[in-house]
Amino acid sequence: MASSQLGTDVSGLSRLRAALPFSTRDWGLLLVAPGAILFSSFMLYPIIYLFYISLTDATFAGSVIGGGAQLIGLENYVQLIADPQFRTSMFTTWLFVAVSLVFKVFLAVGIALLLNHVRVAGKRYMRAAVIVPLGFPGIFTITVWRGMFSDARYGVFNTILGRYNELMSSVSAPELLLFDVPIGFLSGRWEAFFAYVTTEVWLAYPFMVIIIVSALQDVPRSLHEAAMVDGAGALQRFRTVTLPAIKGPVLFASILTAATSFQQFLIPWVFNQGGPSRQNELIIVYGYREAITFNQFGLSAAILIVGIAFVGLFMYAAVRYGGLAEGVGDE
Amino acid sequence: MSAIRAFASFVAAKLIALATAPQRFAVMVQRAVYDVRTGKRTAWDVTKSVLMTLFGLAMVLVLLFPLFWITTASLAEGSRLFNTSGIFPDPTTYNLGAYRWVIFESDFFFVDGDWGYPQLVLGGESGLVSFRWAGTETGPGALFNSLYIVSVTLVAGFGMIVPAAYAFSRRQFVGRKRILYGYVLFTQIGAGLSIATLVALYSLFSTYGLTNNLFILGLFYAASAIPFNTWLLKTYMDNIPVSYEEAAMVDGASFLDTIREVILPLTKPGLAVVLIFVWLAGWNEFIIAQTLLRPENYPLSVELYNIATEGRFSTPWTRFAAFANLFALPVAIVYFAAQRSVEDGLSFGGMEG
Repeated sequence: MASSQLGTDVSGLSRLRAALPFSTRDWGLLLVAPGAILFSSFMLYPIIYLFYISLTDATFAGSVIGGGAQLIGLENYVQLIADPQFRTSMFTTWLFVAVSLVFKVFLAVGIALLLNHVRVAGKRYMRAAVIVPLGFPGIFTITVWRGMFSDARYGVFNTILGRYNELMSSVSAPELLLFDVPIGFLSGRWEAFFAYVTTEVWLAYPFMVIIIVSALQDVPRSLHEAAMVDGAGALQRFRTVTLPAIKGPVLFASILTAATSFQQFLIPWVFNQGGPSRQNELIIVYGYREAITFNQFGLSAAILIVGIAFVGLFMYAAVRYGGLAEGVGDE
Repeated sequence: MSAIRAFASFVAAKLIALATAPQRFAVMVQRAVYDVRTGKRTAWDVTKSVLMTLFGLAMVLVLLFPLFWITTASLAEGSRLFNTSGIFPDPTTYNLGAYRWVIFESDFFFVDGDWGYPQLVLGGESGLVSFRWAGTETGPGALFNSLYIVSVTLVAGFGMIVPAAYAFSRRQFVGRKRILYGYVLFTQIGAGLSIATLVALYSLFSTYGLTNNLFILGLFYAASAIPFNTWLLKTYMDNIPVSYEEAAMVDGASFLDTIREVILPLTKPGLAVVLIFVWLAGWNEFIIAQTLLRPENYPLSVELYNIATEGRFSTPWTRFAAFANLFALPVAIVYFAAQRSVEDGLSFGGMEG
């Protein structure tokens, strides 16, 4: 009796097992599941919910929670396309990503080459020092940069420019080379944009330097020596030996840091809240502002969904064409 | 115990290396002089090296200028920072007044700097042995909130990242490729995404009654750290040859033995990097914390932001600097000490070439 009971149980189990889409060799899934579930519930679920909010006319947090909001379809998105502020924000965001990326790449490659050069003594200590910005909290370093970019006559950069002016005047340089101090770094549109880019470059270069340096160290010295024997100059050696070695890692780091730049929130928010007069609102700041200051939760959700979609496309392109996910599939 | 000893010897090795650096530098100079004398190197060759080194040094100084500036600023409590005397405050006025303010007046350690001490309570209402703060009327401050959040983030993050990274690197299972692709897509979307979803987060958390809950916030930060760090650790583990495990198995090691004796020791640098990044995820974020928490639960990052934006146009720079230095320094020191590991861990093994 008991044994037959057991028998049916076993056959039932095995039938169940056969019906399942996975087998015992898939137990690795159990190790991955907790993280994936936590991630989905705190990151993916809110995105889906955000998309739902973007389809409603919610005006404040209460109307979202209390269910007082009506579904209005894609009206928020239609309103968005007509909004000139949206176009300004998109344009500024892309410009910010592009300009800071160019400077980042040049600065990081320069630093990495210099701090990996045979002639530089103590380069390991210098490398340790230059990547320090990565270890400080963003709110700290960004506020410090805001202090240095102060509009005040005796702000740090204005003082430096003043000194520079004195120096140039003393050698009677033409007026053209002088600066009109004090510069209102945070109160002019392009001055503020310049300040954003400088700070963003400073925040992002350590990551790039680390990745480029480790790529440079994998280039065997014999390759350089062989090129030297063949009579290649410094420039030619850079083009034929160094560049191929760092091209992949630079592309990789560019994609990752560009995606972060696209979502930059703290710099504009801490500097001047995306000002002056909303001209420098990067996309996330724009969305945040619409919700917090103007109580347009539905519209804000639509903006942020557009922002997330762009970043998603960006990362997808990176995976597809940038080889970002190399080694995911093949083992 | 062995971990503590290993850490101590690591710190000692770092300190010795740092202390003997001048000596090594002197030897290098002597050798250069000798080489020029004996004609092994030309004077111009040595000059080129010196110039390159100076150039590198100048670059490092320029890049680290903001940190240098803010450190001097933290020492200038009581004197005006932006004045005619120049960029740096007058060294003769340096004082530790700002640090005194952080420790004894701000909410950094205890609310309003009213220090207390932990006391064990035997018996009583809340169980057999409980613990309370004695000697303080206002209670523990922002540091303890931060530490609580970070410990939740670290425990939850490590408990989920390390096994998942191992499974991704060594096991085949259904959905592996898809989940990994998903993680890669989300690698760079940590903090920015949290702010983007803030609107939804706030309503969701309110609906489920999860606002003002430090534990949930810690879990949230762990969730935001999962994709990047899992991927990072997975690429790190990929570089450990499978033959090591096979050899251990041939010698009779069980599956758990291979993990304990092969995988974990060889992934140490990767684990160090993940430790730093997961710590930073819980330690630094403040927008979500500010939105979801009430003032009595604010962690250090929110307090720092509040100091930075205290006045509409003026930040109390010296106090901000002192607060920020105490907030950032422990992390920065660990980060600096583990710099070698960070470089190794971030090189993404297979990404080059």
